[in-house]
Amino acid sequence: MVPALFFPWCSSLRAHQRAGRCGDGRHGPKSALRAVREMGSSGLAACALEGPGWLQRHLLSGEFDQLRNFTVFESNFVQVTRFGEVANKVTMGVAASSPALELPDLLLLAGPTKENGCLQLLGLFPLQFVQLYIHDESRQQLKVKFCTGRAFYLQLQGPAETRDLEFGKWVRLLYHLHFQAGQGAVPFTQEWGDEDEETGGDQEDREWDWRDQLQDREARLDPQTSELWGL
Amino acid sequence: MTYAYLFKYIIIGDTGVGKSCLLLQFTDKRFQPVHDLTIGVEFGARMVNIDGKQIKLQIWDTAGQESFRSITRSYYRGAAGALLVYDITRRETFNHLTSWLEDARQHSSSNMVIMLIGNKSDLESRRDVRREEGEAFAREHGLIFMETSAKTACNVEEAFINTAKEIYRKIQQGLFDVHNEANGIKIGPQQSISTPVGPSACPRSPRDTGSDSGCC
Repeated sequence: MVPALFFPWCSSLRAHQRAGRCGDGRHGPKSALRAVREMGSSGLAACALEGPGWLQRHLLSGEFDQLRNFTVFESNFVQVTRFGEVANKVTMGVAASSPALELPDLLLLAGPTKENGCLQLLGLFPLQFVQLYIHDESRQQLKVKFCTGRAFYLQLQGPAETRDLEFGKWVRLLYHLHFQAGQGAVPFTQEWGDEDEETGGDQEDREWDWRDQLQDREARLDPQTSELWGL
Repeated sequence: MTYAYLFKYIIIGDTGVGKSCLLLQFTDKRFQPVHDLTIGVEFGARMVNIDGKQIKLQIWDTAGQESFRSITRSYYRGAAGALLVYDITRRETFNHLTSWLEDARQHSSSNMVIMLIGNKSDLESRRDVRREEGEAFAREHGLIFMETSAKTACNVEEAFINTAKEIYRKIQQGLFDVHNEANGIKIGPQQSISTPVGPSACPRSPRDTGSDSGCC
C-alpha cells in the first residue's frame, strides 16, 4: 500500500528542516534527518499524486459518516514483536479531524476481519495520547506507544521499490509530530531505557525477566487472546 | 455481507464499568478479565437479525476516563443507540449516570434509544446498587434497563439486540428518518428505499423494553 496523501503536512516540515532543529540521540535521529533531507521536494510532489488507500476507501464507503471527509495518510504494516516475530496485519493511518489543522491529530488503526479478511476500522485515538517512534529504521519498523503504557511494533509492508520512500514519509511525519509536541530536541527514535542495555553479569536471566515484563506491556499476538482489535 | 440497515451504537459510562468487555463479549463471545484503558474510540461490529432483517450494528466503544471525555463526546453524534453502563458494585458509577445522560442527549439525536445497563451482575455479593434503583432511574428518564454480566455473558446479547429492536420499532413507526444521517441509521447497500413501514411490522415482546428477568 502506498500512502494516500501527505502534502498538507509537508510544507511546514521543510521550514523545520531549514531551522535545523532535530534530535541527536544514539539510535537514528541523524539518519532519520538524513532521510528527511534526501526525500527532498520530489517526494512531496509524488505523494500528492497517489490515490486513496484502503483505509481511506473504507471510510469513504459510507458506514462512517463522521470520518468520511478525513484525509488519511496510511500504510500497511504487520505487527511484530521486538524480536521480529510477525503476527497481525495492521493498516495504520493518521488524519486531521479538521481541515484547518496543520498537522494530523488522530491515529487510525484497522485490520482484516476474522470472517472474510475485509478491512475493518478497529480504533481511533487522539494523537495527543499516542507516541510514535522509529523502532528499527533498517527494518522499517515503528513503535506505537499509548499513554497507558501499551505499546506495539509495526513493520512496513509493500513493494520493495516503494517501501523506502514510504517509510521516509513516516519518518518525516514523526519528525513533524515530535517537533510540534515540543520534543524537537529529543530523539524520536525508540526510547531506549536501561532495560535495553545488557552490559554483562547474568544477562540471560535478566533478558527473560525483561521479556516477561515486556509481555505485560506488549500486546499479545494470538488474536484469540488479544485485545479487542488483536494488537 | 449485505444488510438492511446499519445502526450506530455508542457505549458510554464511567471508566472500569466494563464497556469494552461488553463489546468483546458481544462481538467475540469471550471475556478478558484485564483490559487496557480505552483511549479514544474502539470499534466493533456484528450482524443481528431483527424481524427477519439483517442489521449491522456498528459499535463505538468510547473511553470512560474523564481526561478523554471531552474528545470522545464529539463522536456521540449520529448514534441511533446508546448503551449507558454502570457497575452494580460501584455506587459512584451509578451516581454519575445523570451527567453521562446529559452528555449523550446534548450531543446526539433526541430519538436515540438508550439502554441503561447495570454490569457485573455476577458479583452479587459485592452489589452496591440495587436492581430496583436501576429500574427506577430508567423509568424516570425513559430508558430501557437491563442488568448484565460481560463475564458470564448473561443478558449481553439481549442488551444489544433489544436496543436494536427498539430502534427498528421506531423506524417502523416512522419516528426515525432513515434518510437523515444524523439519526445514526443507514440503509444497507442494495436495499430498497421503500422499505415497508408500519407499526405492525415489528411486533414487540414484553422483553423488548423495560426490565429483564433473564439469567441475571
